[in-house]
Amino acid sequence: MSEPAGDVRPNPCGSKACRRLFGPVDSEQLSRDCDALMAGCIQEARERWNFDFVTETPLEGDFVWERVRGLGLPKLYLPTGPWRGRDELGGGRRPGTSPALLQGTAEEDHVDLSLSCTLVPRSGEQAEGSPGGPGDSQGRKRRQTSMTDFYHSKRRLIFSKRKP
Amino acid sequence: MELLCCEVDPVRRAVRDRNLLQDDRVLQNLLTIEERYLPQCSYFKCVQKDIQPYMRRMVATWMLEVCEEQKCEEEVFPLAMNYLDRFLAGVPTPKSHLQLLGAVCMFLASKLKETSPLTAEKLCIYTDNSIKPQELLEWELVVLGKLKWNLAAVTPHDFIEHILRKLPQQREKLSLIRKHAQTFIALCATDFKFAMYPPSMIATGSVGAAICGLQQDEEVSSLTCDALTELLAKITNTDVDCLKACQEQIEAVLLNSLQQYRQDQRDGSKSEDELDQASTPTDVRDIDL
Repeated sequence: MSEPAGDVRPNPCGSKACRRLFGPVDSEQLSRDCDALMAGCIQEARERWNFDFVTETPLEGDFVWERVRGLGLPKLYLPTGPWRGRDELGGGRRPGTSPALLQGTAEEDHVDLSLSCTLVPRSGEQAEGSPGGPGDSQGRKRRQTSMTDFYHSKRRLIFSKRKP
Repeated sequence: MELLCCEVDPVRRAVRDRNLLQDDRVLQNLLTIEERYLPQCSYFKCVQKDIQPYMRRMVATWMLEVCEEQKCEEEVFPLAMNYLDRFLAGVPTPKSHLQLLGAVCMFLASKLKETSPLTAEKLCIYTDNSIKPQELLEWELVVLGKLKWNLAAVTPHDFIEHILRKLPQQREKLSLIRKHAQTFIALCATDFKFAMYPPSMIATGSVGAAICGLQQDEEVSSLTCDALTELLAKITNTDVDCLKACQEQIEAVLLNSLQQYRQDQRDGSKSEDELDQASTPTDVRDIDL
């Protein structure tokens, strides 16, 4: 690809730094390991937030998820942004298969997908001291975690509206 | 008609913000949060089976070479190494993936710190095309997920200006001290021994080593090395003995790296192509201890 005008970075072709460090790389193994690790990340996120990020569905758990409409998000955050097409920074295309976290339902209005999550205290516990999901060492920090990566979220405490 | 002709640095950088540098709360907050971004364990012992310490050194040397050749901002390399160490502290990884990971970490660090970041294509060329841009982008997501998207890690560079402005230093020597300190920081990032040290200690030790090193040739500070170490320790709330030990380790790494470089030079031009010149960052080659 052609470099943008004014690029001060040298062309790497022919540089001594162009070298393989640890012999041949097995593309298939890379792809298998990538899928496995990605699945692990998604599973972790699913347990932590009781939300299925692949199908965009709320699950049973500590958080209550609800749709938020009409957030008036700036255009920048709508899914028609540049990352859907050509990645200007990376130069390539986002791969279509593995990054399930980035797969939205493409044609839907992103605002419709915006959800807010609410922490529901477990019975007999202070909401603030409520532990995280299984294997979650950062449970105590939960109140400070923001989910703005994928969803505009707001969180407030609801005192046991849900079934016991 | 008068014409002005000058070369302008095409890279846009923010000016140093006096409001941030002169407020002690900024330094205190950096000191409070820096530990959050350290790797969770010494991973060669407890996580990795395939990857050996010398392999980390190999990939670090290569990354430094790429960053230098691509004229990356100084923070990019140490930040990329922080990502790599944090990833390896959690995920057992075969050595054949290590170079890809190094490339991914540079890709991320460059995006975070630079106005016009390294491209995936260029990084793949540097791996001798052993990986494809698409693989790099896929693994970018994996690394992001494993780092829990916590990319804004504190690095030793974050402390340098805070430290320098508290030293009784002649202004004209500052840029030289800064440059040497930055080189020491890069050197530390190539060595696993420093991976678990708090960034503030590496920064303080690097500034100390820079000033003491320069002091031998010319007067750069009114303080003796011992008085300097005590002052430095106060600035970042570091234990004086720990700081001394850290500074000595940094000087030892430099010495080692210089000897290696001279050895490489003596071995002549024949083998120059095969040797990793960049195991010594360019700037310290002129330093004598």
